[in-house]
Amino acid sequence: MTALKLTDVCKTFGTTEVLKNISLEVEDGEFVVFVGPSGCGKSTLLRVIAGLEDATSGAVEIAGDRVNNVAPAKRGIAMVFQSYALYPHLNVRDNMALALKQANESNSTIDERVTEASRMLSLDDYLTRRPAELSGGQRQRVAIGRAVVRHPKLFLFDEPLSNLDAALRMNTRMEIASLHRSLETSMVYVTHDQTEAMTLADKIVVLRDGRVEQIGAPMELYNNPANKFVAGFLGAPSMNFINAAGAVELGIRPENLNLSESGQLQGQVIHVEKLGGDTNIVVTLTTGETVTCRLFGQHDHRVGEQVTLGFDMNRAYLFDASGERIEPS
Amino acid sequence: MAEQTGKKFNWHIVVFLAPAVLVYTAVMIFPLFNTLRLALYTETENIRQFVGLDNFRTLFGDPRWSESFWNALANNFWFFFIHMLVQNPIGILLAAILSHPRLRFAGFYRTAIFIPTILSFVIVGFAWKLILSPIWGIAPSLLDAVGLKSLFAPWLGREEYALTTLALISVWQFVGIPMMLIYAALLSIPEEMLEAGEIDGITGASAFWKIKLPLILPSIGIISILTFVGNFNAFDLIYAAQGALAGPDFATDILGTYLYRTFFGFQLQLGDPHMGSTIATAMFAIILIGVCIYLFGIQTRLRRYQF
Repeated sequence: MTALKLTDVCKTFGTTEVLKNISLEVEDGEFVVFVGPSGCGKSTLLRVIAGLEDATSGAVEIAGDRVNNVAPAKRGIAMVFQSYALYPHLNVRDNMALALKQANESNSTIDERVTEASRMLSLDDYLTRRPAELSGGQRQRVAIGRAVVRHPKLFLFDEPLSNLDAALRMNTRMEIASLHRSLETSMVYVTHDQTEAMTLADKIVVLRDGRVEQIGAPMELYNNPANKFVAGFLGAPSMNFINAAGAVELGIRPENLNLSESGQLQGQVIHVEKLGGDTNIVVTLTTGETVTCRLFGQHDHRVGEQVTLGFDMNRAYLFDASGERIEPS
Repeated sequence: MAEQTGKKFNWHIVVFLAPAVLVYTAVMIFPLFNTLRLALYTETENIRQFVGLDNFRTLFGDPRWSESFWNALANNFWFFFIHMLVQNPIGILLAAILSHPRLRFAGFYRTAIFIPTILSFVIVGFAWKLILSPIWGIAPSLLDAVGLKSLFAPWLGREEYALTTLALISVWQFVGIPMMLIYAALLSIPEEMLEAGEIDGITGASAFWKIKLPLILPSIGIISILTFVGNFNAFDLIYAAQGALAGPDFATDILGTYLYRTFFGFQLQLGDPHMGSTIATAMFAIILIGVCIYLFGIQTRLRRYQF
């Protein structure tokens, strides 16, 4: 069954077109990540799905029902906000229970669901605290708990990790992934962070300027990007682009560049990043482009050093002047 | 000590504070304490004598004084009660309507409702006296125009209505203040929180009762105490509309008008600064007790939220 189906969804604010003919499907139980640079329309798209914004045209279907004119609470969705948006006057239990109370669920149902969610998210010790007495990570879990208790058909996450510090982000990412595995509910997750997209998604939707650039599994997009934008957006450090013959550009992932005496590219090291497991060398080529070369393990290179870099043409991508991929024939 | 730490004494702090301290002392602190002091004296044959708490015994013990005092105090509580019951709920309601994102001309309404606040009491009192006058007023003819003339009564002239009418006139004048304070508090509630409520099915009236109202409670507390202090210090409107005798038959007499008549004298009554100060001290004590109850009993229980 299809959990979410968008057909030609458009959204305009005044004369600004924010979403242009977005069509996509989210299968039952699938984890789909919308990723793109800021201003690409990914959050607006999520808000259209949630019903916080109305689509200017096109159809939004959730679990087979057209919901364009259905109130957010009746769409069978739950949303986790970037700022968590917890109710500051209610304690953790009441924050989670409010939606159920509003829906006139029985007390026993409310109790059961809140207990279930709090156990799942290890919130048992905090149920009587107010949001102000919780750390960022705990607030995040309450926000997720508030979504979980509603037993939605579709979860919506709006950049839920962007207010957390790096260590907590990694942890929470794992928690969200395991939550998805245990709930087996479809999730739509918006982020600008390609690492989150790559690590969490069953399917990534890359958006730019209100358009879908490409949809596919993470490795599919990584290994087979449709255009220069997708190629450059996914992967860290991002893909190197080198002018080749004419208007054609050559794209090489940093890990596919290596140091070799017989290499095709010469240049000077301008920066070295030693990460322990990896070493990134930033090189300015004699032709003027700056490329990053990712070496496995620890290497001793100094700024100013002359190096020769080589790559395998079979692992390079070609893009035409408009940025479209030229498929190898 | 300043020299021990090697730092120069910061004379500029004293210099900059001095003007405010001097002015405030001259117009507020000194008169306040002098009033409290005056309440302990009396004057016989042009000689001021210290009498301790005798003036208070007279005020609360002598029926000629105490009846007027309790009448004024009870009227004052009714005046306050009407404000709390009418002015503040209407202010909150107006603010809730104004903060609705789809309301057009919100700026116009906000200004229009706030304008009476900046009018002088004299103008408001006189204008309403004219409006409600059974002889030249437009109220009877307006009611007549909609066929409700039977409802009209000389509201300012009847003992049972006069105080309530004046309280409602004051509500009309000042409803803009709670409205503005609540409006500001409502605007500070983050949009995302209301959207989270929308996803949870909490919209419209329940969004107001379950999300917005608990978050604006601290502002409502502040408004209540401002109303309390304002009402127990009120004088101008009653004086402008009903005169110092606060008629009919003292039906609109509140502590402010009672103090005025006692202190300065009116018609046949001679001014008595000592009894006046005694009433002023009693008013000061009432307001102080009220504010303390609020500060220690209510405000400490209200939570303020950081968004």
